[in-house]
Amino acid sequence: MTLISLKKIHKIYNVGGEEVRALDGVNLDIQENEYLAIMGPSGSGKSTLMNMIGCLDTPTSGLYEFEGEMVQIMDDSQLASIRNRKIGFVFQTFNLLPKATAAHNVEIPLIYANIRKDKRLAMALEALDSVGLSDRSHHRPNELSGGQRQRVAIARALVNNPSIILADEPTGNLDSKSGHEIMGILDGLHRKGNTIILVTHEDDIAQHAHRIIRLFDGKIIEDQKNGEK
Amino acid sequence: MGIIIGVLSVTLMGTLISGLDRSFESSMSMLGKDILYVSRYEWFSDMEWWEVRNRPRMLPEYVDKIKKRSQYALAVAPVMQRGASLSLDDKNTRTEIFGTNEDYMETISSNISNGRFFTKNEDRSGARVTVIGDGIREAFFGDQNPIGEYIKIDGVKFRIIGVLEKQGKFLGLFSVDKQAILPFGAYKRIFSRRGWMRLSVKVPPEKLDEGLDEITSVMRHIRGLKPNEKNDFAINQTKAFEKQYTALKVAIGGTGLFITLLSLIVGGIGIMNIMFVSVKERTREIGIRKAIGATSGMIMGQFLMEAVTICLFAGIIGILLAYLFSYFINQFFPSTLPISLSIIAMLMSMIVGVISGFVPSYRAAKLDPIDSLRYE
Repeated sequence: MTLISLKKIHKIYNVGGEEVRALDGVNLDIQENEYLAIMGPSGSGKSTLMNMIGCLDTPTSGLYEFEGEMVQIMDDSQLASIRNRKIGFVFQTFNLLPKATAAHNVEIPLIYANIRKDKRLAMALEALDSVGLSDRSHHRPNELSGGQRQRVAIARALVNNPSIILADEPTGNLDSKSGHEIMGILDGLHRKGNTIILVTHEDDIAQHAHRIIRLFDGKIIEDQKNGEK
Repeated sequence: MGIIIGVLSVTLMGTLISGLDRSFESSMSMLGKDILYVSRYEWFSDMEWWEVRNRPRMLPEYVDKIKKRSQYALAVAPVMQRGASLSLDDKNTRTEIFGTNEDYMETISSNISNGRFFTKNEDRSGARVTVIGDGIREAFFGDQNPIGEYIKIDGVKFRIIGVLEKQGKFLGLFSVDKQAILPFGAYKRIFSRRGWMRLSVKVPPEKLDEGLDEITSVMRHIRGLKPNEKNDFAINQTKAFEKQYTALKVAIGGTGLFITLLSLIVGGIGIMNIMFVSVKERTREIGIRKAIGATSGMIMGQFLMEAVTICLFAGIIGILLAYLFSYFINQFFPSTLPISLSIIAMLMSMIVGVISGFVPSYRAAKLDPIDSLRYE
């Protein structure tokens, strides 16, 4: 089933009166349970594409359908609802709330989803358990290592059982050992049926994916299947 | 800070007013609403002092004249007043003494708690008897029974025949419990033949206006005034107090309101500033929250709640301070802090929170998630 369908997506920024075509006619279909890596040098538009897929940004022109629904015509709260229930974000810089404990960080999406308090905590702990951090639930981000922080972030992305995990350079700020751990978790999620979209410029990270897209100057210049491992 | 001052001032102002109200009411009931006070002076008047000074004195014989001619006057008591020193053995105190007649008890609101008031005969014969206030009894006799004991007033012995019940302070200013009441006859003979005098005339409470008209015309007749001449006496009522009092209340309320508004505005601006800084500092957090599914409304709600919380906190501090202050003020001046006012003050600080938090929260809600995620 087609989860995401992008048709002739353009995104044009105006920087100091100059037009910057961050995305220049991107066509992309993503099926359920795909493991996709988006690659490209900086400035190629991969972050913009990521934001677009994650419903954080809207295209200047083109058509974006998420599970068959038109994203362009959604209002703010509908977009927020999709981000909340369908998409889990994992960022390069973790983006955890520094003052909140790991458990609370994981809990926040559930608050926005109006889930009852007692149920919320149980779900948060379960998500933390699935990334192997159940013993760290009351630690704050600054008491955790980089790899642990990213695992908290993944737990947060997972907690609402979203269909898609969007990971933007998830290993960019980590040493290679933690990076491998994180990729292991993502691989595991894929096996459980999640759709994983990975943005990276590291080849060996991209090799985890089953389909690799290369962007350059806002255009897809390569879309290839990665040999099964 | 401004919120604290604002809440403080509104509660203190209310405290003062409600305290005044209470003490005013009890003080007024001491005076009695149905009493007309006839004297040379108006209580509150903008007349020139020499005009008033040249008015003829009140004379003791007016008492009988009024009684004879008036049909509304239920009781007429002449009252002369001066300071005197009271002594018993080695104890002594300064106090006010009153010279009056047997009708006096009808014109005041308090009662005799022990013993009796003097009679017409005692008054006429110039008997040296006295009725003392509860404060004097407490100071001189403590737990002992003062009835039948002798006390010296300015060196002259008087026999105590009665004690007035405890009344408290008049408008919180002076205690009426420290007084001694003497029969008019003895007072005149020993202390003062002339001197300032007023008449207290009790009229039926439902006939206050008619009584006032009648007493006025009786007094004019006694004085032999022609129809075109102005009154050369004054008839005062507690109403006059009420008028003054209302003016005072409005003045306190107005000043308080002004201070309150000013400090609330200053406080509101302060909160707004804090919230702007907070939104700026937490731009990234807002971005994260939006990315994981917060709608603009939720972000706005969160920041509004924070502003309201800050204001409520300040409000609570303000109210605590107000309680503290009103406790101290109460030592000198009657004041009570009504609960309803605290609630109003809390609501007020909440409203300030909502108003001053609105613009920063709106700005937070409208932040672009991508930009704010990149914000360092």
